Amino acid sequence: MSSLAAERRLEGHAETLPTSGSDDASVRLLGTCKRFGAVTALEDATISVRRGELMSLLGPSGCGKTTLLNLVAGFLAADSGQIEIDGERVNDIPTYKREIGMMFQNYALFPHMSIAENVGYGLRMRGIAKPDLKRRVAEALALVRLTGVEDRRPHQLSGGQQQRVALARALVISPRVLLLDEPFSALDRNLRASMQIEIKEIQRQLGVTTIFVTHDQGEALSLSDRIAVMFEGRIRQVGTPDEIYRRPADRFVASFVGDVNVLRARLDSVDGGLAAVTLGRARISVSREPLTRVRPGDRVDLFVRPEQVRFAQAGEPIAVEGTVAAHIYQGDHVNLYVDAPEVCASRLLVRSLEPDAITRWPIGARVGVSIVGTGAIAFEAEPDQRGGEPRSG
Amino acid sequence: MKPQPFLRIFVSPAALCALGFLAAMATVLQYSLRAYVPGSLDVGGFTLDNFTALLRPLYARVFLDTVWICFLTAACTLIVAYPVAYALVHAQNRLIKAAILVIAVTPLFLGEVVRTYSWIVVLGNNGFINSVLLKLGLIDRPLQIMFTTFAVVTALVHVTLPVMVIMLAAALAHIDPAYERAAQSLGAGPIRAFLSVTLPLSTPGIIAGVATAFAWTFSAFATPQLIGGGQVNMISNLVYQLGLASFNFPFAASLSVAGLALTFAVLSLLRVAARPLERFGPH
Amino acid sequence: MVGTLAVLAILGFVILPAVVVTLAAFNDKAILAFPPETWSWRWFATALAYDDFRSGCVNGLIVAGWASSIALLVGTAFAFALDRYAFPLKRTIEAVLLSSLVVPHFTIGLGFLILAAQIGWARGFAVVVACHVVLVLPFVLRSVYVSLRNLDQRLELAAASLGASPARVLGTVTLPLLVPGLVGGWLLAAILSFNEFTASLFVTAQRTQTLPVAMYNYVREYADPSMAALSVMYILATATLLTVANAYLGLGKVLNVEPRR
Repeated sequence: MSSLAAERRLEGHAETLPTSGSDDASVRLLGTCKRFGAVTALEDATISVRRGELMSLLGPSGCGKTTLLNLVAGFLAADSGQIEIDGERVNDIPTYKREIGMMFQNYALFPHMSIAENVGYGLRMRGIAKPDLKRRVAEALALVRLTGVEDRRPHQLSGGQQQRVALARALVISPRVLLLDEPFSALDRNLRASMQIEIKEIQRQLGVTTIFVTHDQGEALSLSDRIAVMFEGRIRQVGTPDEIYRRPADRFVASFVGDVNVLRARLDSVDGGLAAVTLGRARISVSREPLTRVRPGDRVDLFVRPEQVRFAQAGEPIAVEGTVAAHIYQGDHVNLYVDAPEVCASRLLVRSLEPDAITRWPIGARVGVSIVGTGAIAFEAEPDQRGGEPRSG
Repeated sequence: MKPQPFLRIFVSPAALCALGFLAAMATVLQYSLRAYVPGSLDVGGFTLDNFTALLRPLYARVFLDTVWICFLTAACTLIVAYPVAYALVHAQNRLIKAAILVIAVTPLFLGEVVRTYSWIVVLGNNGFINSVLLKLGLIDRPLQIMFTTFAVVTALVHVTLPVMVIMLAAALAHIDPAYERAAQSLGAGPIRAFLSVTLPLSTPGIIAGVATAFAWTFSAFATPQLIGGGQVNMISNLVYQLGLASFNFPFAASLSVAGLALTFAVLSLLRVAARPLERFGPH
Repeated sequence: MVGTLAVLAILGFVILPAVVVTLAAFNDKAILAFPPETWSWRWFATALAYDDFRSGCVNGLIVAGWASSIALLVGTAFAFALDRYAFPLKRTIEAVLLSSLVVPHFTIGLGFLILAAQIGWARGFAVVVACHVVLVLPFVLRSVYVSLRNLDQRLELAAASLGASPARVLGTVTLPLLVPGLVGGWLLAAILSFNEFTASLFVTAQRTQTLPVAMYNYVREYADPSMAALSVMYILATATLLTVANAYLGLGKVLNVEPRR
């Protein structure tokens, strides 16, 4: 693409974006593109991260989330489009002048420096005088609740401690934006949960704008103020965790975030903003918005979360019937997989909180399944309809 | 494009070194095409006489001997070095590992002259081997070991052994031991597992080691000079004789050029031979 | 078992000359005999007092010091550019510099000898050092390049994100982390240069004669054990240096023969 075309598109975006809201934005990308050879890593990304918020970039590997982070950090240069930090265009500003804090996946602690030297590195680069530097390093280490290790080397600390050091090192320079690149992926499960809570607390306490890259949807849902879901180099949806989970913008977002059953249904009728679809013997009301191109009688795919499906109780209307095919015991709940070839090419996932679910619905049992609540969403059927599998992140 | 700070400062000195080296090589090439003016350090006009002179049986013989000695040395070194490299990589005890490494590698850092002199003391007529054999009564007069191809090759294997060990060990170290275990779990005995898995996977190291051993042997001077003692001659000895004893630089240069061409021919031959094997390599 | 014996036999073959030359060095008589009939230190004194050995040692240290230090600077800078940058003739320069590994030393020596004569350089230290730089550069290049490859580039990105300019990243992160590779490369270069013989034979003059050249000339002239005594000192010094290098730098890592984890 010529730079002229890119420029024109950039102007187009600038027009559509509320310029008055920009003083609220800490980091802003406008029509940013990045290619590596023939591969487009990031296509036309436009996103605005508000001051003080924690924004997650969520998506499978290769979706462009790390590229976006590296563009904000200045490790990569954008092919086109604009990147702003605090209203200032930073495309041509090198990393070391961007006033950012970054925490790396493997923490990237300097192995040849002590903990105190690691944390104080950014301050030394800024020419902070020794007494002041020492005080601020101590404060930063206290903030992450890590004291008494100043003289040790990084390899002498545990994974969780190293992460605290990395966080302190990134925060001590009071960055304009904190960038976190999959920071929890190296930690074991229990430690991960407690570190997540701690980082979220510190982030809220300091009010530092944070961009957080992850491929773990659970992590994104629990930590973020807002989430940007990315796939194949494009930002698919930006919204609060609840919006992303309940009102996914497209099939990809619906199936990537949270578990979901994809069921074959038919559009029945439309009425204002709502549409009615037929699933087996049930009629279900869904939003009409994603179905603008579908006409009554056409096939649609109904996306239903496991918690929106349950085994029909006596007298309850049954949507579909099926056979229990497998159990997965999860402690606090049981995942039951039901063969219902009529509506679902793969198996229907039903989540039961009943402690005796396994004995109540043994493998081979015939069950009736009903849809509860109003959370289901229908999308246009995919051309090669095979019925999706319940996906989990 | 990413910024490349200090590019010019970083590359220029190396480029200068490369240029100096190329200039030296170009000079050799230039001299090889000049006529020799006896009794003078100056050279005459351009000529191909030096190269036609190389075809004389006397010189052709030296070329053949050199290639034969190089080949023999490389092959012997490979056979001797492989077990050491294998032991080095697979030794469990750190101390044993360090000992093998230091012993195997020390000759590399000893220099040709010390090594060659040591071998003279070992192989000479009143040297170590002859003294021991005489004392044991196995022989009644000293064996003539010095000034034979055997003696030269023995000393040269000693020279090339360390580098061969290093290259083989580097290749072996990068082979996942799980491969050999997998082979054994599938019913291959330890020897079969080694022959069918580890040996083929170490081929790149073998080729690199043989190539280096060949080039080093070709380059050896003190060993054939002192241990060969004029009975075993290699190209290096001839170049020295012609260059620094007779001051026939043009002919010495043409010998060098021919030797260089031969080295590169053998090395590229080895590379071609290695190509079909390389896809088995670990990388 | 057979394998262990074979390895021991081969290692025996490797150290046999060193052992034999040590025995010879303590032989009191001027003519070799095994075992020596009477023992003596006198050849060590003779070797240490011999003028050509003394000046050769000094010359060798001068040449090795200069050549390895220049090669370290040139090689480090180039290895860095090789690893990180794209520039014209990149592979060509690399190939030329590495080719000194396979070009016979007598050819390189002859080349520098004629070149120096042609451009009117006297046969002083400059030409010897220049020749040695070309000879040891591949080793420095390789050692530094391997260290650079093993360096986690995220550490440099982290430094940049913390406000370090490219020059300060180089000074505070990259170079300090490269120190083992740099020291290893320098040591390797210095040892190789100090030991270099064939090319030195061509490019040195009486005044710049290095120790190996002096020893070669001695062996051609005399057969007494003072050469053996010198060899013993040489072997001891080298083995000590290598053991120390192994303990502090991990020779296995420098030579890339450690098994992968």
